[in-house]
Amino acid sequence: MTATASATDSAPARTADASSRLRPNEILRIVRLHTVNPAIFFGVPWMILGGAWAVTMIIALIIQGAAGPLDPTETGFEYSWAVLSPQWYLIVVGVQAVSYTFPFALGFGATRRDYWLGTSAMFVIVSVMYAAAIATLLLVERATSGWGIGAGMFDALWYVGADWGTAFYTTFALQLLVLFIGAGVTTVYMRWRMRGMLTVLFGGVALILAIIAVLTFTETWEALGAWLASIGVVGVFTLVLATAVAWAIAGLLVIRRATPR
Amino acid sequence: MTTTVVRARGLTKRYGSFTAIDGIDLSLDEGRIYGLLGRNGAGKTTVMQLLTGQIFPNGGELEVFGRPPAEHADVLRRMCFIAEAQRYPEDFTPAHVFRSAPWFFEHWDAAFAERLIADFRLPVKRRIKKLSRGQLSAVGVIVGLASRAPMTFFDEPYLGLDAVARHIFYDRLLEDYAAHPRTVVLSTHLIDEVANLLEHVILIDQGRILLDRDADEVRGSATTVAGARAAVEQFVGERPVIGREGLGGLASVTIDGRLDHAERVRAAELGLELAPVSLQQLIVHLTGAELAESNQKEVVA
Amino acid sequence: MDESRPIFLQIAEQIENDIVDGHVAEDAAIPSINELAAFHRINPATALKGVNRLVEQGLVAKRRGVGMFVVPGARERLIERRRAEFAAEYLRPLIVEAAKLGIGVDELAGMVREERILT
Repeated sequence: MTATASATDSAPARTADASSRLRPNEILRIVRLHTVNPAIFFGVPWMILGGAWAVTMIIALIIQGAAGPLDPTETGFEYSWAVLSPQWYLIVVGVQAVSYTFPFALGFGATRRDYWLGTSAMFVIVSVMYAAAIATLLLVERATSGWGIGAGMFDALWYVGADWGTAFYTTFALQLLVLFIGAGVTTVYMRWRMRGMLTVLFGGVALILAIIAVLTFTETWEALGAWLASIGVVGVFTLVLATAVAWAIAGLLVIRRATPR
Repeated sequence: MTTTVVRARGLTKRYGSFTAIDGIDLSLDEGRIYGLLGRNGAGKTTVMQLLTGQIFPNGGELEVFGRPPAEHADVLRRMCFIAEAQRYPEDFTPAHVFRSAPWFFEHWDAAFAERLIADFRLPVKRRIKKLSRGQLSAVGVIVGLASRAPMTFFDEPYLGLDAVARHIFYDRLLEDYAAHPRTVVLSTHLIDEVANLLEHVILIDQGRILLDRDADEVRGSATTVAGARAAVEQFVGERPVIGREGLGGLASVTIDGRLDHAERVRAAELGLELAPVSLQQLIVHLTGAELAESNQKEVVA
Repeated sequence: MDESRPIFLQIAEQIENDIVDGHVAEDAAIPSINELAAFHRINPATALKGVNRLVEQGLVAKRRGVGMFVVPGARERLIERRRAEFAAEYLRPLIVEAAKLGIGVDELAGMVREERILT
């Protein structure tokens, strides 16, 4: 792979080496495109998380004020879903990565394949960073006994008792899935428009209902629950990760013939 | 020696039962300014989207720089497509757009972009959502000009621009084209404004090409004959007619073709007035006539 | 620029007019292609076509690396050509119009003489 500097002016643009199938430059520039406006992937999600943290703290302080100091050894106060609060926004990020950035990149001469690979790389990078941060904040929360006032924001849900590695892995898997679901469903729209998307959505809902029906009629809910318990948190989130990968592959296949309008 | 950079044969694009592009043949040479003219909905945008790999054809052959454009990175990187309704990522500002442009266009000239930003008075730090229609168009125009891409498509991106800004665009385009020749395709229905910029004219109507000629050849290739109805009809005779108007005993018929000196004298003797036909008038006649024909077909069927 | 006539012809005519009027002397340079294109706001290829027409007619010649120059004798040849076309271009329409208005040849001659005194 050679990067030839163009003979012209200020920004030494990297000329594409089209003979390399992997085309790292083309993929890298898509990643850069996603980070040009850092607010999208890095600004807003952290603001939301920060907001949730602030709310958690305020509620904990209020409760403390009303009922006395919280005992962190008991169940303590857990604003359970706070740690997941940015996820709804990240689904939107996934959606907009395709609905806005895809037509833009296409207009600038990117290929669909490179766009998806670059966007997938970006999703992985973001998920890694986010997972590392959450896992670390979890440890900080435990070390400070709930931020000094027994408020449990990160140490909730499946994070209770989890070590850094598990927290990292589970967050990474979930994050990746959330991003790819948003992006994946949008690629369906980009290719088959309203009809296609409604088909996928209704089909998905129908599938879920069918599964629920089957499980109910064959009374295998308990067996399912037992099995999930047996594979543990890591096992469950490996399924989540596998689903994310499946969406990623599906997205690549769908976007190959997607059109911006 | 001119190279052919675009070659299309029988190119077709359908949307369900609607045929947007109906088996057209097209050939574009390197380094020329082409005008892709036609009414709204004629198919200009569709042609450009096909040529830039944004959409996929349903039939025919298409080669740009020797290969089908869709999904071929080495073809796409030599093109810049400025669309009329370009979408920008959420919360992008023009500054973000210009910062990322050099990654995609290897000939990007940042200094030129700066000058254009000043010319169009573009607030680069304002979010694109908050820009006026004209400022939004300016973003596209600046990218198209400063990209210096070997083949640049402008799909009516200057519609939002006021007259002053439009003329700034035309001037900068000509200036830069003279200094850095490349292939430019402009689509528009504002024909008279760009007529002088064009080297070659392609007229599209209802998915078909009506005209594909050198601009200067087209200019003055038609004549309007006006006067007393009987005299006009006698003079016109069997010549190809592309437009007909009348009021009472007077008629005005536009014929395809230039009149030579003898014919002019004869017209004068018949008391007829001859008037030249501008590019825009010619196209109005041609596309209007097609419309009348297709209406007739509907009535018959 | 006239909307309905080929622009390259108009470019050629304008330069011819400049030569005949004496605005551009023989052996002097005419504007470059890019200058013409920029000034008239036209496509450089069209300007080139117009100038090439003059080159073909031997009125203007290219000097490598320097530009386009008026060929000596160009003015005379242009004047001669226009004299030949004068009758068809100007006289005929004049006579036709005069006939319409019932102006006889003698009256016409008198009007022409008056015009010359005044101008």
